[in-house]
Amino acid sequence: MSPNTSLYVALVFYGLGTLVALASLFARERRLQHAGLGLMVIGFLSHTVWIGTICTLTGHPPLTNLPETVSFIAWLVFVVELVLFVIYRVHAASFFVYPLVLILLTISAVVREPFTHSQTVLSRLFTAHLLLTTTGVAALLIGLAFGLLAHLQDRALKSKTRGRLWEWIPSLNVCKDVSYRALSIGFSVYTLGLLTGVLWSYKTTAGIVAMRTKEIGAIVAWVLFAIVLQSYISGTYRTRRTMLTGAAALVAIVVAMLGIHHG
Amino acid sequence: MPLMLVGLNHRTAPVDVRERLSIDERKMPEILQSLVEHGALYGAAIVSTCNRVEVVISAPSEDVIERIVDWMSARADAARTELEKHLYILRYGDVVKHLFRVCSGLDSMILGEPQIGGQVRKAFQLAHDGNTLDALLTQLFEQTMRVAKKVRTDTGIGEHAVSVPYASVELAKKIFGQLEGLRVLLLGAGDMGELTAEHLHGQHVKQVFVANRSYERAVELAARFEGLAVQFNSIDEHLASCDIVIASTSAPHFVIETEQVERALASRKNRNLFLIDLSVPRNINPEISSIDGAYLYNVDDLQQVADANRELRQKKAQQAEEIIEREVESFRKRLVAQDAVPTILELQGRLETIRTAELEKCLRRMGPITADQRAAVEQFSSQMINKILHYPILQLKDAAEEPQERESLRNTIRKIFGLSS
Repeated sequence: MSPNTSLYVALVFYGLGTLVALASLFARERRLQHAGLGLMVIGFLSHTVWIGTICTLTGHPPLTNLPETVSFIAWLVFVVELVLFVIYRVHAASFFVYPLVLILLTISAVVREPFTHSQTVLSRLFTAHLLLTTTGVAALLIGLAFGLLAHLQDRALKSKTRGRLWEWIPSLNVCKDVSYRALSIGFSVYTLGLLTGVLWSYKTTAGIVAMRTKEIGAIVAWVLFAIVLQSYISGTYRTRRTMLTGAAALVAIVVAMLGIHHG
Repeated sequence: MPLMLVGLNHRTAPVDVRERLSIDERKMPEILQSLVEHGALYGAAIVSTCNRVEVVISAPSEDVIERIVDWMSARADAARTELEKHLYILRYGDVVKHLFRVCSGLDSMILGEPQIGGQVRKAFQLAHDGNTLDALLTQLFEQTMRVAKKVRTDTGIGEHAVSVPYASVELAKKIFGQLEGLRVLLLGAGDMGELTAEHLHGQHVKQVFVANRSYERAVELAARFEGLAVQFNSIDEHLASCDIVIASTSAPHFVIETEQVERALASRKNRNLFLIDLSVPRNINPEISSIDGAYLYNVDDLQQVADANRELRQKKAQQAEEIIEREVESFRKRLVAQDAVPTILELQGRLETIRTAELEKCLRRMGPITADQRAAVEQFSSQMINKILHYPILQLKDAAEEPQERESLRNTIRKIFGLSS
């Protein structure tokens, strides 16, 4: 059996789970929402099997190329989503997080790169760089998703009209707190990830960091996330400008990830 | 065994009739005992709330209904013919469906209201403690509470406020999440404001401050919420420390202006401020709603929220009815299957006795055979018996709802297979 079978199984269940969860948004049915979560969890288990398989086959964390990195970020995003669901019973985040996980895993399945089997390819520093960066990105993505929920909730409360998400979104304070915590933790971890990357680059090339797409994307994303975080600290997180900055940060992250593939 | 319900509610009887039948919780055990004895019943429970009095019984036959109506007339001190006009009598599946609907809040005056669930639970508890429940009623009430919980969890029918004060609480929760630890400032002594503050107090807010032009009235009101009376001219100071402000004064002008809220928010370090304006003419400048972090709702806005919630509950009630239909059918099947168990066991036992006896005779006639051959003959006889029993058992398990029809089917099967009557 191909090692990628569990990846395709995960993709199918993530796809079904996302469709069912989005259908629940229109049907306003909690049972559909729960069914969507159930399907996503099955996908997640299969996804975990795939990550475990890669680790066993290659002898290192699945972070050496674009498909592996993207898949690992999707996995982490879903782990955080599950934890937040257990704590806050937040259904609304799933409408953003499920499609995000699905898109990330689709990229992972479509962009094929061979597994790197070498046991020595990853130094400890490089492994730390990859783990910290991907974990940071996952937390930042969750932070953006909850930031968007806070923005939608704020608009709904201000305009006194209810959208379809009204019922599913938790209180404004919860959205803001989760977003702020995820962004601040994600930003710190991501910063550490970038620093270990710079150190690793310096050690291996004995020079400055090469300014390729992935490096530029990563640095631009870091600056944009810093601006978003600052808006939370100063209390201006509700503004349209913060939302647009967050969206730009997301684009920068995507560019940096594509840079992993294209060099 | 017949399952029946005799009762009246806010739709069938005026309050003067309902109040005469209403039963005090403390007297319930004694009344239930007298009811069971008077009616020669297997079991009984009474759901008594301000909107309904319903007697749920299981009895040997339907004849007891007459006695129950007499008993209720005597209790209400009303002529039987007079009371009968307000009563409804339900049987079997209709009782199950009715109880499921009542406990889920679908039969309530305010659709989906959650209190009725607790009241039905209380009725069950009192009957259980008074030993007036038989196995059937116990099963029925337990299932009723399970179904009501499922309806509320799956549809969320009771989650949305349908009155202005509750709508305020719901919005406050949408902004702040938990209300514990929040501070509330009540301006004025209007009825609606007082009621809203009371609901917020019930949510365990940290402190309620009351400001009124008349300080004495403020002190009086504050005592109701275990709060603190403050001078009306100290509003600014409290705007900065309170999270929810309720304005309900009779002042013909704004008592809270944009600049006051801007100053308050600046000192609140961007913590949100929820302002509820229940006064007409309005007491809070509507321009405040454009300030970041300030959420202002007037009485019309809150009424719209309550109206929208009422419509939402109607939609959710349709989902709830579908759940109840499914649950009634499943409960009915379970009861019928349980009812058929003794007959099925007897039937199986009877045929097994015949099989064993005939098998022994057959084996004796056949003489010495191998173990495999003996096993084959035994398997053949067992399978034949199972095939013969398949349809009678299926019919017994899936029999009609009415006990008479089920009894008739059981008697027929007993006669055909020669079971003891």
